[in-house]
Amino acid sequence: MKRISILLAFLLASAFAWAQDDVVTIGVSIPAATHGWTGGVNWWADKAMNDIQERHPNVRFVINTAGSATEQANDLQDMVAIDQIDALVILPFESDPLTEPVAQVKEAGVLVTVVDRGLIDPTIQDIYVAGNNPEMGRVSCEYIADRLGGEGNIVVLRGIPTVIDNERVEGCMEVLDATNIEVLASEYANWNRDDGFEVMQDFLARFDQIDAVWAQDDDIAVGVIAALEQANRQDEMFIVGGAGMKEMIARVMEGDDLIPVNVLYPPAMIATAMEVTALYYVSDVPVLGEYILGATLITEENAEQYYFPDAAF
Amino acid sequence: MDATTPDPKPLLACRELRKSFGPIEVLHGVDLDLRSGEVHAIIGENGAGKSTLMKCLSGYEAPSGGEILLDGRPTRFAGSGPAESAGVVLIHQELALVDDLDAAANIFLGREPTTRFGLLDRRRMDREARALLDQLETRVDLHVPVRQLAVSQRQMIEIAKAVARDARVLFMDEPTDVLTGTETEVLFALIRRLREAGVAIAYVSHKLDEIERIADRVTVLRDGNHVATKAVTDTDAPEMARLMVGRELTDLYPDKRPAPDAPERLRVRNLTVPGYAEGVSFELRAGEVLGFAGLVGAGRTETFEGLLGLRPARGEVFVNGAPVRIRRHEDAHRHGLAYLTEDRKGKGLIQSMPLTPNLTLQALRRFARPLIDRRAERAALREAIETYDIRTGRVEARATELSGGNQQKLVVAKILLDEPRIVILDEPTRGIDVGTKREMYFLIRDLAASGLAVVVISSELQEVIGLAHRVVVMRSGRVTGILEEHELTEHEIVQYATGLKNRGVEPHEHAA
Amino acid sequence: MSTPPDAAAVPWTRRIPWQTLTPLLGLFVLVVIGAMLSDSFLSASNVTNVLTRSAFIGIIAVGTTFVIIAGGIDLSVGSMAAFVAGSMILGMNWMLGLGLAEGVVLALGIVLAVVLGLAAGSFNGFTITRGKIEPFIVTLGALGIFRSLVTYLADGGTISLDFAMRGLIRPLFYGSFLGVPWPLWIFGAVAVIGSIVLHRTRFGRYVFAIGSNEDVARYSAIPVRRIKTLTYIIQGLCVAIAVIIYVPRLGSASGSTGVLWELEAIAAVIIGGTALKGGSGHVWGTIVGAVLLSTIGNVLNLTDVISNYLNQAVQGVIIILAVLLQRGRGR
Repeated sequence: MKRISILLAFLLASAFAWAQDDVVTIGVSIPAATHGWTGGVNWWADKAMNDIQERHPNVRFVINTAGSATEQANDLQDMVAIDQIDALVILPFESDPLTEPVAQVKEAGVLVTVVDRGLIDPTIQDIYVAGNNPEMGRVSCEYIADRLGGEGNIVVLRGIPTVIDNERVEGCMEVLDATNIEVLASEYANWNRDDGFEVMQDFLARFDQIDAVWAQDDDIAVGVIAALEQANRQDEMFIVGGAGMKEMIARVMEGDDLIPVNVLYPPAMIATAMEVTALYYVSDVPVLGEYILGATLITEENAEQYYFPDAAF
Repeated sequence: MDATTPDPKPLLACRELRKSFGPIEVLHGVDLDLRSGEVHAIIGENGAGKSTLMKCLSGYEAPSGGEILLDGRPTRFAGSGPAESAGVVLIHQELALVDDLDAAANIFLGREPTTRFGLLDRRRMDREARALLDQLETRVDLHVPVRQLAVSQRQMIEIAKAVARDARVLFMDEPTDVLTGTETEVLFALIRRLREAGVAIAYVSHKLDEIERIADRVTVLRDGNHVATKAVTDTDAPEMARLMVGRELTDLYPDKRPAPDAPERLRVRNLTVPGYAEGVSFELRAGEVLGFAGLVGAGRTETFEGLLGLRPARGEVFVNGAPVRIRRHEDAHRHGLAYLTEDRKGKGLIQSMPLTPNLTLQALRRFARPLIDRRAERAALREAIETYDIRTGRVEARATELSGGNQQKLVVAKILLDEPRIVILDEPTRGIDVGTKREMYFLIRDLAASGLAVVVISSELQEVIGLAHRVVVMRSGRVTGILEEHELTEHEIVQYATGLKNRGVEPHEHAA
Repeated sequence: MSTPPDAAAVPWTRRIPWQTLTPLLGLFVLVVIGAMLSDSFLSASNVTNVLTRSAFIGIIAVGTTFVIIAGGIDLSVGSMAAFVAGSMILGMNWMLGLGLAEGVVLALGIVLAVVLGLAAGSFNGFTITRGKIEPFIVTLGALGIFRSLVTYLADGGTISLDFAMRGLIRPLFYGSFLGVPWPLWIFGAVAVIGSIVLHRTRFGRYVFAIGSNEDVARYSAIPVRRIKTLTYIIQGLCVAIAVIIYVPRLGSASGSTGVLWELEAIAAVIIGGTALKGGSGHVWGTIVGAVLLSTIGNVLNLTDVISNYLNQAVQGVIIILAVLLQRGRGR
C-alpha cells in the first residue's frame, strides 16, 4: 500500500508538469456487474475514469463490460481496431481463455495492465495489480484460529469453483491443518446471497454446534446472517466474510459480535490499476512491475479508513 | 361366393386375420387374397375395418391373430419397412410426405441413390422423379418444398413415391378424394398400366361408381367381418351399398322441402378474399339450403374462411338485415354463424383430446358458470352420441380413436351444440361411407326445416343438386352463376363451373 | 399437511390426475434417500426450510405451467423477478423518503410489484402475439432487458431495502400462521387457484386447446391471441407474487438475483408431467416438481457422500430420472 501512496503522490505532482497535447486512450475491460464484488469493480472503474480524466484532460478511458470470456475477447479486438487504445487495463474473466487474446493486444503495441486474475503467461503483462487470494484465505483463517484458541467447529461456504476460490481455500487450510479446528462441511454458495442463505440453513439443520463460519465473501455473508437470524442462532458463532463490502465494514466499525472482522479484497484495485497505467503516460516515474495488494484484516480499530459510504459495494 | 376360392397364386393373402386394440377387437377373422394383375376394391362403412386391414397387410400394424401369406408362404412383417422391401406398399390417406422436402426428395425418401462418393445423386433423383411424375401428368417444380404444392399434387407425389418402390402389391386408401376429375382419369390410366404389369392393387374407396369402372373384384367388410367378395361384373352399385350397410338403402337424399319464403338471414356483398375470391355476393334465407359448387381450387373454402374471419377479407356482410363486421372468427361465432371445416383432422378436432372437451370446445360458454360443469359436459356427450349415432368403443376415447365418419359426426355435433342460426358445411361428406352420408343428408334437411340457414360446399355435384334449393357456382374466385330449381342439373352446373356459361358477378335476385 | 379447500363437490380422486403420482413417487424416493443419509433431513425445521425455499420457484412455475401448456415458453422469469424485486425495493425506499407510514409503503410496494409483474408479462405476451415473434426470441430478449435494467437500477451493485422497513416486511417471509410459514400459505393459495383456473375454467380449457392444436382452437372461435397473451400475464403475476415473498428474505436485489430461475421453473414444470410442446399437463405436478428440485439441493447440502464438484451432475441425473420415470409409465 505504501508503495502505491508514493506513486499517487508522484502522479499528482506530475499533473502540473503535464503540457503535451497527445491524447492517450486507455481501454478498460472488466466483467459485467453480476455480483456484489464485480459491481464494486464497475463502480470504482467509473469513479477512477472520472477522477483521472478530470485531472488529465489528455487521458481518455474506454470502459467495456463483458458477460463472458468470449465476449471479453471480442471487446479486446474492438478496442484495438476501433478505439485504437494505447494501453489496456483488463480484469480477465478467466485466465486461460483470455491469455491468447491479450497476447495479441500486446503484439499490437499496447501497454498491458492485468488486474486480479493473472494470465497463464505472465510475460505478457507490463503491469500486474492483484489482490492476494492465498493470503486472503490465510489471514481469514488465522483470525478464526486465534479467536477459537485453536479448536472448535467451523463451516465453510465457498464461492464458484474457480482458481480464485481454490487459492483462498488452500490458503485457509494451510493454517487450519496445524490446529485442532474441524471443518464440519464446505459447500459452494457461488458468491451469491440467496445461495448463502440456503446453504447456511442446511448447515444449521445439520450441525448443532458451530463456532464460526468462514463465508469468504460478503455477499454470501449477507445470506448467512439472515439464516442465522431466522434460526435465532446468531449468538453462537461469528462470521468472517471478505472483500470489504461497505455494510460489512460498517458493522465491524460498530463492534458487531457476529461480524467482528473483514478481510480486504478491494474492488478498488481496478482504480489503482487505472491510476498506475495513466501514470505511465503522464509522468516519468518507472511504474512497470507487480503490485500485490495485501489482504488486510479489518478490525474495529482500523475499519474507518476502509469505509466508503458512497461506494456501490 | 365362387370368387373367394383361393386363386392358385395370390401374391398376398390373409386367412382369419384378427386385430384388437386393447380389449376391443376390430377385425374378426378376415380372409382376403390379392392376385397379380387385378384391382381389388375393398369397401365398407366407416369403422368397418378397411384401414385396419390394410395396415395389417402392409406392416403398419401387427395382427393379433390369423396369418398373412406372401407368395403362399406365411409371413410376418416387422414393420412397414420390411413390407416395402418385400414389395408391399401402402399409399397413405393422410398425406405422409415430409412437408419441407421437395418432391424428388420425398419420392426417394429412405432409399436415396448416391454417387460413388456417397453423396446424394441429385441428378438421378430428379431424372427419375420427373419420369414418374410425367406418367401421372403432374407438373410440379421438383425443387420447392411439397408444403407449397396443392393437395392433389401432393397426392400424386405420394403415389409416385409408392410406384418408385417397385411395388408388387399396392394399397391405395381413398386416392381420389382430393383429386379433380381429370386427375382421377390420369390416376386410373396409371392403375391400368400397373395392373397390366402384374401388380396387385387393393383399392379402398367410398365412390362406388369409381369401383365399377376400375376394379376387377370387390370385397365388402362390415363391422370387422368379411361379408362378400364378388367380381365387379357380377354386381352393381346398389348391391354393393346394400352389402355395406346390411340393409336396403332407400332414397339417398331426403325429399326436398319447398324453398322457403322466410326472412333473409345472411347477405354478402362484394366479398373479396385477396388471392382467392373477388366480388362474391349472395344471400341466404332461414330454412334454405344454399349449395356452393365449383371445381377444386375455385376458391369456395377460401371465400367462406374470409367471410368468417379466418383469413383476411373485405366486403359487406349483413346478418338478419343488420350490417356486421367480422374481423375474427369469434365475431362470426357471436353473430350465430358456425363453420364445419373441410379439414376435420387438422382443424376440426383436437385428435389427442377425449371426445367431451372436443364436443364442448366451441360452446364452452354454456358449460361455464364460471367453473366448468363437467357433469353437464358428459351429459352433452351422451346426448350427442345418441342424436348423431356416434359409434365409439368407450366414452373416454380420444378423438383420434374414432373412424373418419364418426369424427365427422362429432365435429357436426360440436358446431351445432352452440345453436348457431347459420351453418356453413364445407365438404360435409368427404371421406365418409354411403350410410353415414345418407344420415348427414337427412340431418341437413332437418336443420333447414328447423329454421337454420344452411350453406353446403361440395365438390360432388349429385350432393349439391340433391340437397340445395339454390346453387352458387364459382370459378376462379368469382361467382359465375346462381342456379335454382329447373336449372339444377349436372350438365348446367358444369357449364358454369368450367366457364362455358357466365352470368357475371351480380347476384341472382329473387322476384321481389 | 394442509388440504386445499375443495371448490366443487368432485371427489379428490378425480381431481388429481393420475400422472401426478409419478413425480410424487420420484419425490418419495428422494425423501427416503435423504432420510437415510441424514438424521436432520426429516426434522421439522429442515422440512419447513425446503418447502419454503421451493415456494419461489414453485409460484413462478405455476405461471410457467400455463405458458408451456399453451405451447409457449418464457425464458425471462428469472430476470423479471430480479427487475421487479429491485424496483419494489427502490420504490419502497423512495416512498419512505417521502415520509409515508411504513404500513402504507409496504402495501404500495406490493401493489407496485404486482403492477410491474403484470406489465412485464403483458410486454412479453403482446410482443409475441401482436408482433408474431417466436416466444423463445421475445423472452430471450426480455431476459437481457430485465437483467440489464436491474443492474442499471443498482448501479452495478446491490439494491438494499431501507432498514426502517425490515421489521414490518420480515414476517412476510419469516412469519407463520398456525405453525405454517406465510410463504407456504401463499404458495398453496397460488397452487389451488392456479389449478382451478387451469382445469376448471373456460380459459384453462382454451389454454389446453391452443397448446394441442392452434388451428382447431382458431376454427372453434377461441380468441387465440388473447388467451396466449393472458398466459404470459399470468406468468408475470406469479413472478410478482414470488417477489413479494422473496424481498423480505434478504431485503436486497442485485444483478445476480434470480439467475437461472427460468430453467428451474421450466424443469419443475416438465418434471411435473407437463409436455414441453404444450397441450397437456397439470399444476399439481409442477408443485411436486418444484419441491423435488429444492429437495435435491437440500440433500446434497446435508451430506458429504458426494463430492461438491459433482453437485450439478447429481441434480442433472435426478431430473432426467424423474422425467424418465414418468414417461416410462405413460407407455
